[in-house]
Amino acid sequence: MLLIPCVHCGPRNASEFAYADAVLRTPDPNAAPPAVWRRYLYMRTNPAGLASEWWYHQSGCRRYFMVERDTRTNEIRAAALPPRPADRGAP
Amino acid sequence: MRGVATSRGPIATPVVINCTAGWSSTVAAMAGVELPITTFPLQAAVTEPVKFFLDPVIVSGTLHVYVSQTARGELVLGASVDPYPAYSTRGSLEFTEEVAAHVLELFPSLAALRVLRQWAGLCDMTPDFSPILGKTPVEGFHVDVGWGTYGFKAGPVSGEAMAQLVATGETPAIIETFDLARFGDGRLVGEKGAAAVGH
Repeated sequence: MLLIPCVHCGPRNASEFAYADAVLRTPDPNAAPPAVWRRYLYMRTNPAGLASEWWYHQSGCRRYFMVERDTRTNEIRAAALPPRPADRGAP
Repeated sequence: MRGVATSRGPIATPVVINCTAGWSSTVAAMAGVELPITTFPLQAAVTEPVKFFLDPVIVSGTLHVYVSQTARGELVLGASVDPYPAYSTRGSLEFTEEVAAHVLELFPSLAALRVLRQWAGLCDMTPDFSPILGKTPVEGFHVDVGWGTYGFKAGPVSGEAMAQLVATGETPAIIETFDLARFGDGRLVGEKGAAAVGH
């Protein structure tokens, strides 16, 4: 059983969580043309190795957080909360 | 495209087809081509053999499970892809528990059967559950990838179409709508022929 280290609840079985896609940089909604949005929607690096991912603790705290996982071994290196808006350089 | 570097030396060629499954993203990355693919393990299991009783393949879209019996009497059990992407082909207890529970809803009489073994293969899933066939932005680098959980029956005709592409340099009409450019153009394929379980 894969254990996911939830940043709020501690390690829990993966069956409590939903994988919620790779961590991607959201295009600028005021400037990005359709081609950039489609690339954001569909294109994935799909790494065989370390991946940055969103996970959702649906049967627990119901929060989203970020996980660094090796897709070859399922070893989890790190889990963290997303950076707060202020840390991302809000406009 | 000038050639391929292999562990047994270089091979010069103006055309390369990436027809891998499970590793299509990593192979495409060697040519600098990005794909809309995410790789998920798909598990299956087989039971000990019993006297032949099941002729058709039983599929339940509601329970997300399929069962068939081999000529040796073993029952082959399968379900949808794993709930998160991975390149690991290690089996999981969650899968065995879930597939067993669903099979027993269909066949309660199988409760005493033991599982002989389980395994996993890698499935390259695309956003529209349809394969990607034809040319890429790199001249001479073609793809026949992204078949996800199916493709046994469509494989031969896709090979024929890809051979025609190599021979003529023109994309055959039968695979035109499955091109890589559809994702950038926003014209995804609604593939109703995709497998009944898995999505």
